[in-house]
Amino acid sequence: MSIDRRKLRRSLVCWAALAPLVVIVLFPFAVMFFTAVKPADEVFVYPARWLPSTFRWANFSDMWVATRFGVALENSLIVSLGSMLLAIAVSVPAAYALARFPFRGKGAYRQFLLVTQMLSPILLVIGLFRMAAMIHWHGSNMVDKHISVIVAYAAFNVAFAVWMLSSYFATIPRDLEESAWLEGCGRARAIVKVFLPLAVPAMVVTAIFTFINGWNEFAVVYTLIRSDANKTLTVQITDLVAGRYTVEWHQVMAATLLATLPVSVLFAWLQRYLVKGLALGAVK
Amino acid sequence: MTRIARRPLTPWLLIVPSFALALFVIGYPLYNIVFQSVHEVSRFGLIRGFCGLDNFRKVFADPIFMASLWRTLWWTLGVVGGTVLVAVPVALILNQDFYGRGVARVIVMLPWSVSLTMTAIVWRWAFNDEYGMVNVTLQRMGLIAAPVHWLATSTLAFPVEILVGILVSVPFTVTIFLGGLSSVPVDIYEAARIDGASGWQQFRKLTLPLLRPFINMAIVLNVIYVFNSFPIIWVMTQGGPSNGTHILVTYLYEQGFRLGKPGEAAAVSLVMLVMLFAITALYLRIQPREGGEA
Repeated sequence: MSIDRRKLRRSLVCWAALAPLVVIVLFPFAVMFFTAVKPADEVFVYPARWLPSTFRWANFSDMWVATRFGVALENSLIVSLGSMLLAIAVSVPAAYALARFPFRGKGAYRQFLLVTQMLSPILLVIGLFRMAAMIHWHGSNMVDKHISVIVAYAAFNVAFAVWMLSSYFATIPRDLEESAWLEGCGRARAIVKVFLPLAVPAMVVTAIFTFINGWNEFAVVYTLIRSDANKTLTVQITDLVAGRYTVEWHQVMAATLLATLPVSVLFAWLQRYLVKGLALGAVK
Repeated sequence: MTRIARRPLTPWLLIVPSFALALFVIGYPLYNIVFQSVHEVSRFGLIRGFCGLDNFRKVFADPIFMASLWRTLWWTLGVVGGTVLVAVPVALILNQDFYGRGVARVIVMLPWSVSLTMTAIVWRWAFNDEYGMVNVTLQRMGLIAAPVHWLATSTLAFPVEILVGILVSVPFTVTIFLGGLSSVPVDIYEAARIDGASGWQQFRKLTLPLLRPFINMAIVLNVIYVFNSFPIIWVMTQGGPSNGTHILVTYLYEQGFRLGKPGEAAAVSLVMLVMLFAITALYLRIQPREGGEA
């Protein structure tokens, strides 16, 4: 086993060129980590230092109680999972139609999806809030309800999900389904028996990305959710920082680290599918 | 094919759920914004009566709005321009075959996985005057003598926010470029090398033209995202100090939910929508005609 000398030299050059960006990307993670494990009295000392004198892991459990992390975590999970399921449920049929049928209005539908991508939640937030306030729901209205956030997220994820799914679906050979028809299988049964098993990976990947989108969203949930009991992590942690005279930065950083790391790991694991899916969609 | 022809309704039925959901959640608020923008609306959302273009007049008479409008232009130009300038070389590097490429790709993609809100919170702490790690690190390296008050004045805070904006936009843009580069056939480079083209010539004459449609797409999509980007500025400076870092979205949010002027906020929304439609119309014109609709 010999290491290719030319490739080794090229690797050094590549890494050297990427070094500044790598440092800047990893910098916030280092800030999060080293602040999160500092004893409280070391956060505000001047001159400040990177490393703590001791790693105080108890910060995490203190933070869990002080910031009511558990409640916010549960809310984030409810909202992200709910919007993921709804978005996938409506997007899979649409993506199948785009990938398999020639039909009138297909181009118009694609344009419609592009427009929904353009109208970001923040532009519509005034109207979304009014809509939530107008709809009657269990003797009250839809403001401060998880379901309104779930429906809103799902709607804003439709374009992305349909784009990703249809570009993957188009790579699944059509012959497989057609040969199933020849063997007397109905179209619906062919989909269930032949198409869906092959489409599961694409669906899972797309679902996870819509989950991450919901997990990370801010403007809609910041507007629609009012009470502490219903706030998600992004809003809860922002409230620890915004408009406060004293910020417990070691707890805030512990909270951001805990809210960020699982999703980052998930994303790191799946990012190559995103590169592939968006590329397929773009080439088409 | 006959089976498809016999059931022209099927694709439409498949599309209806997603179409209905998106239309409902996006269509009604859009109508409502148009409605509120031409009515006098109280702090609590009560409609007081039709007022024509008064809300628009008030907004355009507000010097903070006009300043935010121009600042939005700089914000968008700065972030999108900077992002493309960083992302092209990064994508070219990540397209090379080198040891640790998988790890490098993951690191470059990381900022995408973090909520913009969390990124903004962490950078706000990192740029803290006395205790932030940016000042600590720069002082240790001897680059600055005393702590810099990064977020205390808008002249420094706004460029800092643009840099954070660039950092979080790079991964998505690199992803698009990598997709573009993977569709470039390798043999044309070999042909060019045989013809004696230098690396720079190959980049100018081959890579750049082949990448152009992807650069166009990245610019337009980023313009849409960055123009609408709310959390970075809202969390880092809330549009301050003294309204010096407001862009249109933060101005809009402050009007609507802090200052209790929903009518004027709705007017700002509509102004932004018109600007976005103009940008997208441009996109549809520069986008090469789509081939056969398979």
